[in-house]
Amino acid sequence: MNNLPTLCLALLLSGFAMAETTMITLDIKNHLFNPAEIIIPANQKVKLLITNSDNTPEEFESYELNREKVIMGNSKTVIFIGPLPPGKYPFFGEFNPKTAQGVIIAQ
Amino acid sequence: MLLNAVIIILQEVLEAALLISVLMAISHTLQLNLNWLKIAVITGFIGAFIYQYNLESISSAFDYVGQEVTNALMQASVYISLVMTVFFINRTVSAHQEKMLTVFMSLSVSLGIIREGSEIFIYIGSFIQQDHLSSVCIGGGIGAAIGASLAALIYYTLINAPKPVLLVGGQLLLSLIAAAMLSQATQLLTQADWLPAHGAVWDSSSLISEESITGHLLYAIAGYEATPAPIQLAAYITGLSSIILLIASKEWLKGKYQHA
Repeated sequence: MNNLPTLCLALLLSGFAMAETTMITLDIKNHLFNPAEIIIPANQKVKLLITNSDNTPEEFESYELNREKVIMGNSKTVIFIGPLPPGKYPFFGEFNPKTAQGVIIAQ
Repeated sequence: MLLNAVIIILQEVLEAALLISVLMAISHTLQLNLNWLKIAVITGFIGAFIYQYNLESISSAFDYVGQEVTNALMQASVYISLVMTVFFINRTVSAHQEKMLTVFMSLSVSLGIIREGSEIFIYIGSFIQQDHLSSVCIGGGIGAAIGASLAALIYYTLINAPKPVLLVGGQLLLSLIAAAMLSQATQLLTQADWLPAHGAVWDSSSLISEESITGHLLYAIAGYEATPAPIQLAAYITGLSSIILLIASKEWLKGKYQHA
């Protein structure tokens, strides 16, 4: 059974062969999210890279996504979301909720 | 914009105000003076200012999840401080217990104010160079006043209860608040990808929406989540049962020694 140790090693190492996390970029400008509609793969962890191109801070918030974070003016940040079942997940800018609105669609 | 400011400031104030009102009621019934609160408020606001001033650099630490890590650390520290507070609460407190109580109550409140206060500073500060500053300040003032009124309601309800009811009820409320802190800490670390995320255990948003008034109140008092992650739920249950076990053990030990 020379193959057994090799098999064990292969199985052990396969755990480290993880897929790259999908990254989506989102920008805030003039209190608007761009893009306002984002499509992501369902049931997968996704990394959101959010840049705030305004001079003023904004708070990215979503009840459906269970995420909330302050982003200072002229800076960027990272938020991880998912894995999400298929559906629509609205988000908004808490400091400017009337204009800063968007939705993440998992499919 | 004014209405928005009311809601935002109210949410921030509510969490800290609830904690303060319960601790004040306990402090009152144990006949402690309020120096612990004065120190907590002063250090809290100074800390909040320093935190928000440095938020950009803190936020970019740890590959842009510095904010989550720092907040999670603060929440976990509040949890521990509240466990210690409950540990030292007794119907009659010795001088040593009094001292420990004031330290941990002060720490809990101070950390809470740093967290909530920093967000208030950031929000209002963002309007200094924009329009709407006056309506944001007025709205903020109204929000703060509503939060303070709710806290006052809880305080006066508690201190008019008989001492044993106040102490056990107050400690149970502290347990809920503490468990919520732990739940929030895990949510933050999930957001930062430091803890695994596995979707939601349930979705009760059709029953009680997080956006509703009930939802916000339940969130502030007991950390209600419409779509909790498994690890959040685990942290909440573990945190809550640990403190309740502590409270029950104290009552049991007290009963045991009284009959000895």
